[in-house]
Formats: sequence, C-alpha cells, structure tokens
Amino acid sequence: MPRGIADQHRRRRPLARASHPGPARMTRRGRTRPAALLGWRADRRSASRSWHAVREISVLLALLLSLVSASALPGDAGETPDARDWAVMRGLGVSQAVATGNLRAQLIAEAGAVAPGSDLELALVFDIRPHWHTYWKNPGDSGEPPRLTWELPPGVEVGPIQWPYPSLIRVGPLANYGYAGRVAHLIPLSVTADWPVGEPIEVRAEATWLVCEAHCIPEEGQFELVLETSATAAEDADRARAKLFANARARLPSSGRIAATLARGEDPMRLGVPAAALPPEPTSIAFFADQWGLLEHAAAQPWAIDGARLLMTLTPGEAPASAAPTGLLVVEHADGTEALPVDASRTLAEASGPIAELAVDPTAGSDPGGGAPTTVEDAALGLPLALLFALLGGLVLNLMPCVFPVLAIKALALAQQSQQGLAERARHGLAYSAGVLAFFALVAILLLALRAGGAAVGWGFQLQSPSFVVLMAYLFLTLGLSLAGAITLGAGLMGIGAAGPSRGHLGAFMTGALAALVAAPCTAPFMGAALGFALAQPWPAALAVVLTLGLGMALPFLLLALSPTLARRLPRPGQWMEYLKQLLSFPMFATAAWLLWVLSVQAGPIGVGAALAGLVLLALGLWLLEASRAGQGRWQRVAQVSAGVSLAAALWLAIDLAPSAPGASDGGSGGTVGEEPRTATPAGRSGPTSTPFSAERLAAARAAGRPVFVNMTAAWCITCLVNERVALSRPTVVEAFAAGDLLYLKGDWTNRDARITDYLAGFGRSGVPIYVYYASGAEPKVLPQVLTESIVLDALER
Amino acid sequence: MMLRLETRLAAVLTAVALCSLSGAALATPEVDAPAPAFTGVDTAGKTWALEDLAGQPVILEWTNHDCPYVKKHYGAGNMQTLQREATDAGYVWLSVISSAPGTQGHVSAAEADALTAERDAAPTAVLLDTEGTIGRAYGARTTPHMYVIDEAGTLVYMGGIDDRATTDPADIPAATNYVRLAMSELEAGQPISRPVTRPYGCSVKY
Repeated sequence: MPRGIADQHRRRRPLARASHPGPARMTRRGRTRPAALLGWRADRRSASRSWHAVREISVLLALLLSLVSASALPGDAGETPDARDWAVMRGLGVSQAVATGNLRAQLIAEAGAVAPGSDLELALVFDIRPHWHTYWKNPGDSGEPPRLTWELPPGVEVGPIQWPYPSLIRVGPLANYGYAGRVAHLIPLSVTADWPVGEPIEVRAEATWLVCEAHCIPEEGQFELVLETSATAAEDADRARAKLFANARARLPSSGRIAATLARGEDPMRLGVPAAALPPEPTSIAFFADQWGLLEHAAAQPWAIDGARLLMTLTPGEAPASAAPTGLLVVEHADGTEALPVDASRTLAEASGPIAELAVDPTAGSDPGGGAPTTVEDAALGLPLALLFALLGGLVLNLMPCVFPVLAIKALALAQQSQQGLAERARHGLAYSAGVLAFFALVAILLLALRAGGAAVGWGFQLQSPSFVVLMAYLFLTLGLSLAGAITLGAGLMGIGAAGPSRGHLGAFMTGALAALVAAPCTAPFMGAALGFALAQPWPAALAVVLTLGLGMALPFLLLALSPTLARRLPRPGQWMEYLKQLLSFPMFATAAWLLWVLSVQAGPIGVGAALAGLVLLALGLWLLEASRAGQGRWQRVAQVSAGVSLAAALWLAIDLAPSAPGASDGGSGGTVGEEPRTATPAGRSGPTSTPFSAERLAAARAAGRPVFVNMTAAWCITCLVNERVALSRPTVVEAFAAGDLLYLKGDWTNRDARITDYLAGFGRSGVPIYVYYASGAEPKVLPQVLTESIVLDALER
Repeated sequence: MMLRLETRLAAVLTAVALCSLSGAALATPEVDAPAPAFTGVDTAGKTWALEDLAGQPVILEWTNHDCPYVKKHYGAGNMQTLQREATDAGYVWLSVISSAPGTQGHVSAAEADALTAERDAAPTAVLLDTEGTIGRAYGARTTPHMYVIDEAGTLVYMGGIDDRATTDPADIPAATNYVRLAMSELEAGQPISRPVTRPYGCSVKY
C-alpha cells in the first residue's frame, strides 16, 4: 500500500463522509483530475489537429507526471515489486494515472507502437486500497462493474473487456464477485490495415467504476494515450509492461466452454461438469454465475467428484429460469488456479417452473461469453440446419453396409411387386416408411425418456448390451436361413423378406423397422452433430430431428414404390429371383458373424461360446419347426415341443449373457477390461501403443505437461475401425506419436461406460468416435470424425 | 448402479447444503406468493405488522442515506416523488433501514426523522430494522431494494427501483421505473410485466 494513497485517502475522507451532497457533487466525488491533467486537456484542444504536437505534449506530460508522482509518492523505493512496476509505467502507449484515494487507475497499451492491420491489447489497471474491491461483470448481490466509453479515430476499434476471473467477497450475509489488490481489465484493440504508417493513434476513454469497502464510492476517470504506428510488428515492450500483461492473461478464463448440466427447476440446483475437463486434484472449486439471478451468490457450494463427474450443489437465486445458465468454475489446485467457462444452456429444456421476466440491464451483468470462441461444436447448429442434415443423413443411410442387407430384401420384394398396381405398391411403400418412422420414433422416445431419467446414454447404445447383440445375431441367422431356403418363415414370424404380396404390408412395415434398427450404429458418425443437437433440445425438436432422419431413410423406397416409371424399370421376376434370394442370405450370415465379433469384445470367449450354442439351438429349433409342418400326429407334436425347447434355450442363453459380460456389471472401469494398460484394445490390433482412457490419467498427463491424444471408440463403430486402419495405425502416425512422447489414451465404449459418456458430453457429443488432441499446455483440439493420415499429422504439428 | 450412486451422492450434497445454510443468510421470497410476514418499529415507536395492513397495498424501500445509489434518487427528488405518488394512491410506504449499529446508514430514530424532514421525504413510516430481521426475511440485498405487496398480501414485485444501475442522477429521466410500472399495472388489473429485476445499489449493512 503506497503511503501516498493512504495519505490522499485520509485527506479525502471527510469528503466521503459528507452528509448530503447534491447530485452534481455526488457524481463528481470520485473524479480526481490533477491540475496538470486539466492543463493537458486544454492544451490538447488547441493542438488537436496536429498529431505531432500531441506527441510532443504527451512526452512532456509524461515527464511532468513522472516528476509529480515521484514527489507525491516518496515511499516508492520501499514498495512491493508490483507497486514498483506500476511506478515505471510511463511513456508511449500509457495514459496518465488517475488516483482517487481508493484506487489508482491507468490505461496501458501492450506496446508503444502498433502495425496497421494488427491487434494490440490495452489494459485498464486498478490498484485498489487494501480491503477495498471493484466488481466483475456480474457484481453479485450489489455493486457495479466498471464501464468504459471510448473515443477512437475511425479505423480503430476496441472489443469488450476480457474479464479476469473474480473472487468471492463476502459482506455480512451477502456476497459480491470482484477484485481486490490489483486487477487488469484487458481490452483488445484493432487497427485497420489502411491506417497510414507513421501517423500516431490517439485513444481516449472515460471510465466509471464503483469501489467499495463496506461502503461504496462511485468514481470516474479520463484516460488518453498515444500509440505510434510502424510497418513492422510492435516493438518490445519494457519488462515491467510485459510482466503486467503476462499476469493479466494468467487470470483470464480459458477459451472454449465446457458443456455442463444444470437442473434449474430444482432447489437446490445441481451442476454437473465432466471431471475430465478439470485440473487434477482440485483443492477448492467455486462457481461464478455470469448473470444475476441464477443463483444465491452467498450460498455455500458443496461439491464432490464422483468418478467422472463434478457435482456441485447451488442455491437458486431470484430468477434462475431466466438467467443464462453459464458461468466460471474457478478451480484451485496444487499448481495454481484455473478459471473454466461452463455452459449448461444445452439443458435448457429441463428448466421448469414459472419464468419470471428478468429485466435485462443492458450494461451490467451482460456480455456472456465475452466473444470467447466456443468448442461446443453444435452450439451454432440451428433447428432448420439440423433438420436438413438429418434428411441428408437419412438418405445416406441407404448406402450403409449395415443397412444394405435389409435393403436387399426390400429390393427383392419390390421386384416381385412390379406386376402389381400403383395403389398396392403405394400401400407397400407407405408401410415401409411407416415402419422406419415408427422405429425412429420409438428410439427417440426411449432416448428422451432415458435422458429425462438421467441415464447416461448415447446413440448406438442398444449395441452396448450383449444380450441385444446376440438377439440381433439370432435375427440375422433366421433371416439368412430363410433366404437360403432352409426354412420358410410363417406368418407367425415377422414375415420379412420372403413375405408374399398378400401379407406384404406387415412385412413391409417390419422391413422398414428392421432397416432402421440396424442403421443406428451407422448414424453416429454421420449424424453426430444433428443427434447431439437433438439430444439437447426440448422433446418436440428432438423428435422432429430424429423423425426427419427416418424420413430421409425411407424416402428412396417410397419414391420407387410410388413412381410407375421407376418401378417399370425394375426387372421382371423369374428364376433369377430365387438365386438372388439365396445369394442375399450371405449378407445376413455376414452380419451375424460381425455381431458375434462385437460380442467377443463385449463378453469374451465364454460369451461367444454361449452365443454359438444359442445359434445352433436356434437353427435346430427352426429346422424342427419346419420339419413339423411336413410331419403327422405325434411326430409333429414332438417336433414342435423340441423346437420350442431349443428356441427357449437359445433365448435363455442370449438373455443370460448380460450379467456375465466383463465390465458391464462393475461401475468402475467399465468397458476397458481391467486397469492394466494394454495395447490390444478391441477396435484395432495394431497402431500406436495405447493406454485405457481414464479422466485421472488424462488429468495427470496434462498436469505433467505431456501431450495427450484421446481416441474414443467402440467395436461396433465402423467409422472408428476405418479411422484406426487408414490413419491411426499408419507407420508415420505411430512414429509421430512416439517422437512426441505422446500419451495415447483409448476409451472403449463398446459396453456402456459412464466416464466415456461424460467425456463425450463435455464435447457436446453423444456418440463415438471422437478424437481429441491436447498439445502440451494448450486447449484441447477436436479432430474430425473421419480421419486421414495427414489430418492427424497436421493436428500433431500444430 | 451408477444412477443409484448419483442419487445417494445428491442426497448427501443436499443435506450438506441445507445444513450450511440453516444458520445463514437471506431468504429469497417468491413473487406471486404471500409476502413474508414482518413486525417492525418505526421512528415514533409505533409497531407495524404486515398482517395489520391487510387490504392495503404496501411498498417496502430499503435505504441507507449515505449510499451513493440512495443519494442519486433522493438528491434528484425521484424517491420523494414516487413516495407521494404511492401514498396518494393508497399505498403504505415503509422505508426500512437495516444497517447494523456502527455501520454506514445506521441512524437513531431522531436522526431518521431529521433525514426525512431534510430530504422532504414522504414515506408512511421509517422502520428501524437494526437487527436486520425484516431485511433477511425479504432477502434485501441492496439500498435501494424495492418490494411491492398487493392488497391481498401477495408479493408482486421485488428488485431494483429502475433499469439504470448507475449513481448518475442524469439517468433517472430516461429510466424505466419498475415500481411505478408495477403500481400502474396493479391498478389496471394487469399482470406485472417485470416481477423480478436485479436490485442495484450498495449492499445492505447487516
């Protein structure tokens, strides 16, 4: 605390206590303008047309100020290092200081010169009396943030204040968000490229601020500084200035926003943040709301880290429903403090209760985001765009390998129908479309219901259950056997594929549903953004997106069925159809084989053994059923009973799989089998040496400054496998990983794993794959979902 | 499993939160709900209780004469005008001083009356809430912090006096006065368009 300030304050104190000053006096109270400054302003007016005169005067003024402050602040020599830095802030690009007794303010540019077409940062620096404070953009229960009014020449622009993270300042039962000691408000300034080199830039600002101890004083000050312009980049700033700006930047929140959850209709409210986004071993965590009204500023914020999630309990404020659910998490840990912007607006749909109209103060507590870039990928994806993507995605689904087998059946059915009338075909096409849409609607409702229940789900989740996978394999074996001609599917079964024209509608409906069912795993890579968007929307929008996806998928067949011209081009039925039908049984068997391979990852050799036994029993049961049709009397009864027994046994084997699947039942390590680092994860046998993903490993490596590459994959995710094959397993990539001493963390989402679900949610995703590169000390960078060798190498280089 | 764990954790967190809050702080009253009951003594020693005021609309104004934000509105005559408008329309206007002894804004009954006379203020009464009981019941955070209660005893407005959170009296003419807005909407039988706003000012010195 410089003695000069204390003295000044004592002198000013009677003024501050003056009982009832009039309005004019009140607003002027805080303004302190030394005589020299007034003189300077008078001089400036007469010289305003001559830049050179301005510069000369500014140099003179700087000299004068240095003399004045040197004599006014005899204690300088014995001050803290910070105060010494302050004392030498003079010269080009530095304004005069405004000292009010409660704080000293100065506007300082990062450098004295700037190149046209480039940017520079300014800092409005406050050195505040001990025990006094100024305010953050949301001041909390009382107070007011500083405000700046600029006067700039055309071609020069400034951005909003980049607010450093605040502290919680308790005042009795109330609390404020603000700053004590020194605070530097950074403001970006840009200069147009047409600015004539050599012509100085004059920057003027008027600032008002409130400074409080228990009581508050509104103050204001005028700041003027001159920047030189040169063709080259800014000159090196002096060391004190560089340090000031480095310290200021260290207090800025990190860029990007963490997607969080906040149930605003509840009291207390629960804030959930993926722990992977936090620094390791936090010692204290505080949440600062961006806007007034969201939460009770003074309330305690108990928190706990439950594996993959930080859970924080917040007390709602006066208008939680209408305040933005965004803010800053200020996390203290062994190595310092980090401020992380958090955004829970994707859970807006969960807000409930009467919405109090919040009067929006246009200046205070506004500026959410502060122009920070966002990493919430689909934040910008509006509903119309999402619907378009959904439609296109649905169309593309028809070309997917996991849909093709079903479509093949459908093509066959259509060929049979080319003889029939338009009305019949239209009914068939509509039934198919209805089947697709029904399935999508069902999944959407299920997904929304599960979301409402708080379950950690994601697209493709149905394939995370081993039982489901086995049942799918059964289904495809049955279809294959039917197509191959080994069995005839009766009306009792679904009547898929082989269904004749007479009972075609149910068949078409079921074919549509089946096509959609098996398409789900293919939608994740193509529809990541649209589905991520849908999952975060209120339910009508979510349903609309998912149904549009279904419509896109059904559309080609609907058109084919409705258009006689297109239908006429289809070949006439004949003997070739029988061969084609038999040929098409092989994609069915292939799909069943693929599902068994997925199962081998989920449930291990025992699971596969059980599934194979189940498949044999299923085939036996189906054959017995088939045989019983030809048989008579008692033999028929025996065959039917045996068939029933075999089918029941097959079913039991499938359903019994769930609890025996490793990782599925223990909530801990989830899908990564065991905690031992291993190289052979299911979704790729070669490639760089990987370690199973855990939030702790990620955090530890980040803390140690080691670069990290995160790959979230699943055995049933074809895109993931292709990416590993064509990009991640390439020798160049393996070498680059090794050369950079990169920690390669691989998360396996084949089975449900809440930690991975949370990690995905942190990036606004609901499915795999996701590839994230954390360069040492830098922000995480999300790579595209379709990788090439060069994309990976480029990302690593940067 | 995961879900159950979360639920349990949430319960523990909630319990912790409630315990830590119990000794504390401020209630947050709700608009469209009965206004919190209070009893207070004015500068003349008269006791005022909300229940006794049934059938009359009430305005509560938290104040601290040394606060620059309060001075903005009294210095320009804005608060006095509003007080006269309200009392003429049948409102009971209670100015509440919740400053604890020794803090800014704390006054004796005589000083409070002198302030009223000096500023030509026109509240129905000035309540001396030295213990901060009424302030805490209403969650009063700032001076000024305004509350409007209708004839039925329902809290219909809480928040700032207007939409210009500054200390500059020059902002008053162009500001939207939320109390005046609530009064006119109440009279017209309309719903209150802005029932909750951010109060601005100095903190209440509990």
